[in-house]
Amino acid sequence: MEVLEEKEEEEQKEEELKALEISSELHDTKTKLSVEQICFSSDVPDFDWNSIDTSQLPDSYKMNSPREKKLLRIADHYHQQYTHLCPERKPLFLHPVNECGVEKFVSTTVRPTLLPYTELYHWDGCASFVSDYLTMEPLKCPLTPPSSLYSPTTILKYQRGNCFDFSVLLCSMLIGAGYDAYCVNGYATHNICSLDESLEECPLLRKPQEEAEEPTCDHLCGLRVHAWVLVLSGKREVPETFFIDPFTGNSYSTMDEQFLGIESVWNHKNYWVNMQDCRNGCKDLVFDLSDAVHWEIMLSETDKPLQLLLGAEKKNELFDRNVDDMEEEEEEEEEEISFAMPPSWVAPIQISPKEFETRCSQGRKVILYKKAKLEKWAPYFNGNGLVKRLTIYADSNWTEAVEVKEWFKNREDMLDMREVNKQTQLTTEYFSPGHLFGLKVHAYKSMNPQTERVMEFYTETRVDGLQKLAENASEMKEYFMGRDDFKYFQHTEFRTKRKKVTLAGVGTDVNSRPIVQIKECFHRNLQKPADEDIAERVFLIEEEMIQLTYHLKDKYITASKKDFFKPTESYRKQSEIMTPEMCITYQAGSSEQHTKLVHLYKLLQKLTEEEKQLKQQVWRSQAEVLKILEIRENEEADIKLSASIYDTERNEKKRQEYEAMMNAKKDEFPGQNEQDLDYLAPFLIQMGSPEKMTRRQALRLRDNCLSDFKNRLVSKANIIQARFEKEVEELQKKNQLFQENQNQLSEKEEADLLADYSETMFRIHILALRLDREKQTAPQKYLALEEKLRKDPRLAEHLGHA
Amino acid sequence: MSQSDNSFEPNVIDDEMLQKAVEEQWPEDIRKLAKAEGINFKDVMELQLSFRNILQIDNLWQFENLTKLQLDNNIIEKIEALESLVHLVWLDLSFNNIEVIEGLDTLVKLQDLSLYNNRISKIEHMDTLQELQIFSIGKNNLTTLENVVYLRKFKNLHTLNLTGNPFCNEEQYMLFVVAHLPGLVYLDFKLVSDTTREVAISNYHYLTDLLEHEEAQALAQLEEKQAQQKELEYHKTAFVEYLNGSFLFDSLYAEDTEAAKLAYLPGVDDLLQAYRKDFVSVCENLFNYCLKEHEKREAEVSDFYEGLREVLTANQEEGRRIILDFENQNRTRLDEIHHASSHDTAESMRAEYNEDILQLSETLMTLEMQMVDQLEELIKEFERNIAVITSTFIENVKGMMTQCRDLENRHHEKLLEISISALEKSLKNELDEELPDDVREFLVDKNTIVNMVNKSHNIHLLKISMRECDILLNMYHWEASVKEKALQNEIDRNRNRIKEIFQYIDDLQEQLDNTQIPDPTE
Repeated sequence: MEVLEEKEEEEQKEEELKALEISSELHDTKTKLSVEQICFSSDVPDFDWNSIDTSQLPDSYKMNSPREKKLLRIADHYHQQYTHLCPERKPLFLHPVNECGVEKFVSTTVRPTLLPYTELYHWDGCASFVSDYLTMEPLKCPLTPPSSLYSPTTILKYQRGNCFDFSVLLCSMLIGAGYDAYCVNGYATHNICSLDESLEECPLLRKPQEEAEEPTCDHLCGLRVHAWVLVLSGKREVPETFFIDPFTGNSYSTMDEQFLGIESVWNHKNYWVNMQDCRNGCKDLVFDLSDAVHWEIMLSETDKPLQLLLGAEKKNELFDRNVDDMEEEEEEEEEEISFAMPPSWVAPIQISPKEFETRCSQGRKVILYKKAKLEKWAPYFNGNGLVKRLTIYADSNWTEAVEVKEWFKNREDMLDMREVNKQTQLTTEYFSPGHLFGLKVHAYKSMNPQTERVMEFYTETRVDGLQKLAENASEMKEYFMGRDDFKYFQHTEFRTKRKKVTLAGVGTDVNSRPIVQIKECFHRNLQKPADEDIAERVFLIEEEMIQLTYHLKDKYITASKKDFFKPTESYRKQSEIMTPEMCITYQAGSSEQHTKLVHLYKLLQKLTEEEKQLKQQVWRSQAEVLKILEIRENEEADIKLSASIYDTERNEKKRQEYEAMMNAKKDEFPGQNEQDLDYLAPFLIQMGSPEKMTRRQALRLRDNCLSDFKNRLVSKANIIQARFEKEVEELQKKNQLFQENQNQLSEKEEADLLADYSETMFRIHILALRLDREKQTAPQKYLALEEKLRKDPRLAEHLGHA
Repeated sequence: MSQSDNSFEPNVIDDEMLQKAVEEQWPEDIRKLAKAEGINFKDVMELQLSFRNILQIDNLWQFENLTKLQLDNNIIEKIEALESLVHLVWLDLSFNNIEVIEGLDTLVKLQDLSLYNNRISKIEHMDTLQELQIFSIGKNNLTTLENVVYLRKFKNLHTLNLTGNPFCNEEQYMLFVVAHLPGLVYLDFKLVSDTTREVAISNYHYLTDLLEHEEAQALAQLEEKQAQQKELEYHKTAFVEYLNGSFLFDSLYAEDTEAAKLAYLPGVDDLLQAYRKDFVSVCENLFNYCLKEHEKREAEVSDFYEGLREVLTANQEEGRRIILDFENQNRTRLDEIHHASSHDTAESMRAEYNEDILQLSETLMTLEMQMVDQLEELIKEFERNIAVITSTFIENVKGMMTQCRDLENRHHEKLLEISISALEKSLKNELDEELPDDVREFLVDKNTIVNMVNKSHNIHLLKISMRECDILLNMYHWEASVKEKALQNEIDRNRNRIKEIFQYIDDLQEQLDNTQIPDPTE
């Protein structure tokens, strides 16, 4: 009792405080107005709920069942007691009218539903679906709960609603998915209530350190009504109780400072009023709903026996003190305790696959974050496959874009994501595996050839092991992986043309860029000795020189080197094709300077040949880059989206193919199932398929058919007989062999033989059985066919009386 | 023309013929170059000596690195003088008059061997050619199919040519060969089909199964033997070969005829058994201790080399860095000198560069000196560790050997006791047992019997000492060799490095000297 009194006192204090706040607020109407203006400044076009058609709705929407009526009475009674007990508190949100103007108790508006989409089996899937699917409408008055609460089906149909509509729908889905979820009527900050995430860091950009910006002071702080969802721990392996804000679909800790207080909570079974002090927000609230000190339950019926007992007792105590003069209601009260919540009046919640996939109303959703804007689209909504776009701004007013990231889906060119840095003008495109040439990343500033760009590739799909290619006007760097020749890097320098000769916009002739030098780097090939294994090879093409550097020998610090000077014309004319001057050699750790000219000459020949190939390879690489650019441009010009072969709605071609196949199948075997095989057909064909047949023909037909059948029976029996005999013969052979070699056989061989023997015996037994059965059934089969022929309509007239 | 003349007359492989043969292989330009420089037969990889009417193989020893040799279409009668051509992969001796396969034992790398069209009647003497893949012995005198079984040795043999041998006419020829050589892919220029193989296997599995069984047994035996050999090798490195079990004890008695006679005395047998047991257990202790010490030594050595490697790698990287820095800084310097504006500037630039080169040399040499000091320290420490290990080892081994000696001494005393009492009994004619005559002979007076026992005892002590000596010597030897090796490695390394630095510096200076500079007049 004392506790209760104390509590009451606290309540009073709280209410006083609130009242004070309100009064102070009312004095300053101007501020309030401006605040409200902010509230309604959402860009959502207004929607007239009065215009909706309610005539098609089922009866349960338009009237109350007796039980519902009783429930409303109980609720009224409960409310009376509540106002009596806590006169300072706001009226409870108990039975607002629905879309047909009928009062419905809030718990019956919750319609637990499990939808057949795997994504919706988990709370975050449900939450993000609800937040995406519905368009947010602000409350008519931000300080009081709405006067009406529409069914989730209507809300889904029109894809819009306020926080209460959001919460009821989400709660229905969560309870359907097995969560211990509740709708909450309470108070929250302006940002939460008006779906304003503009002060929050975008979750896609969230970094560990978050500098908190001073929030603008809200004069209505603590008074703004909001509805959200409470998920209690326990069911579905939820470890800790948490809130879900239905607008954003984000989860919050119950300690979160943005949730300022709770009036009441309800699910599809019951209704609880919070009796705890909310001056410190929801931080200190106890969420044990069975605790009657902190939560006042409406219907003491629940499936928690403990709570039922406790609740009933406490309630009685509570009401004893206050309501002992209302004796006529004593009875009703008893009834109330055992009264069960009537089933929901709402029709089943249904979402078609198409609606599910389309997600956002009108297929698009925009969320503003701190210095960032996130846009979402349903797959296939945009012709270019765009599903998500994140724009990052330099300022807080979302005007100066710094970076744009776009995500794509179902694109045939495998483009996954595009990042555009507005400051550097650098575009980076990321591809899924499967693009032509194994393209993985393409970063560029301009699509013009021979400008600065980096291409990365899926190495495993490329024969040449190319991993990365970086080029600009004067050079090209290629990085390789896993090549058989151990090359991992190649650097080509080009002579940049001083005069830009743009021949009628061509400029794409790759050969127009002369190569200055090509440098290749190789990993160590352990199969060769170190000083025969080239580490670096430089072809100084303009200087007609080739420089070879070999790998280091063990413990050596100088690498062997060979510098070749290619023979000049004057040399070639002379008889000498190779002179010692043409190659400067440094052989580490070998005093023998002299390598045979023959070998050097052979090496030079080989190198010259390889230089030629390398040049061609460089040109091929250049051509490939051009080709990729061309393909990319074509792809961007004509974007195609791919559809799964299972998606018959989109995959028009596949569907047609499928339908055509089905039709073809039908044509192929017309009436296959309708008729058994015609046993007379082959004989009729032999006779030339006469329209009508004479008695003689009929008799002959019958005899032919019968004798044929007889032959088949006999030959079948013969086959079995032959097999039988063969097996027996084999068995005898084996027997003989066994007898002859019995003494020489090892144990294993003997066991094998015996196994083999029993196998043969088994086969013989089966064959004997089959033969026997064949002999028995053959005459029966023969007679059966004769009988059948007699009854055949084509022969009946001739044979019927034969 | 000359060749046709030669066809009537047998030819000898002489330098002239070889020279010509080598030259013929090259294209014109290279031939000229090579001729001017002189041909070294060591550099020749392939040689063709076909259609030269050669009677005897000779003079090929200089072609050490030859991998391919063609001697087909000659009149060679004997395979010989090919021993030194160990790198041969390809050998063609077809169309000759060879009668016996021989002289191929050293050619272990041989993969392709052709003996087509000769007079061979038996496949043999090829055991070492384990790499053989292609073998042609068609048109010879092979008569017994069973001879083919010999080819089962060659696990890599996939292509075989037997056409034109007498046994090819036998009905079962094909199936027999396929059944016995399951790895064969081509036989007589034809792919062996799966059906042929199946038929062959089903026809001959009774024979091949037996062969396989035998081969498996032989292999198992070989492996067992190798394992034993390996273990023995391991024991030898630990200096404990034949020390486990009763090997040493048995050796004590192996040459001791006296002991055998004494064993007939009553009570000696029991004594011997007890002695043997104790002795063997000491041996086992010693054996295990030595193995453990061996592991310890190995670990010590590998630790040392590991540490050494780390130091060397760091040094190598440092040296490499210095050189690369130098090279990067001076990449264009020679060019600059060459294109200097005047003779004087060029001269001064040259001098400057030369100075830099000397500076580099100085830096590298300093680095090397530091390295030498560091390694000296490391090696000294290693030597100390090794010395400690050695001395402990020796001490402990000596201790255990002393245990052996003690056992022997005790045994000796007891034996003496028994012998004397036996003598007394014998003199009193109280000896119950029947003793062989030669044993009785000793039981005449005390001196004889004591001498005999002493003699046996001395033999035993000698054996024990010898074994001990063995172990200790091995240990000393090991210590010396490990030290020696570490030192020698370091000396070699140092020499090589100094040589390398000099060579590199010389090379740089030579390049500098060879750079042409503008004439002083200009």
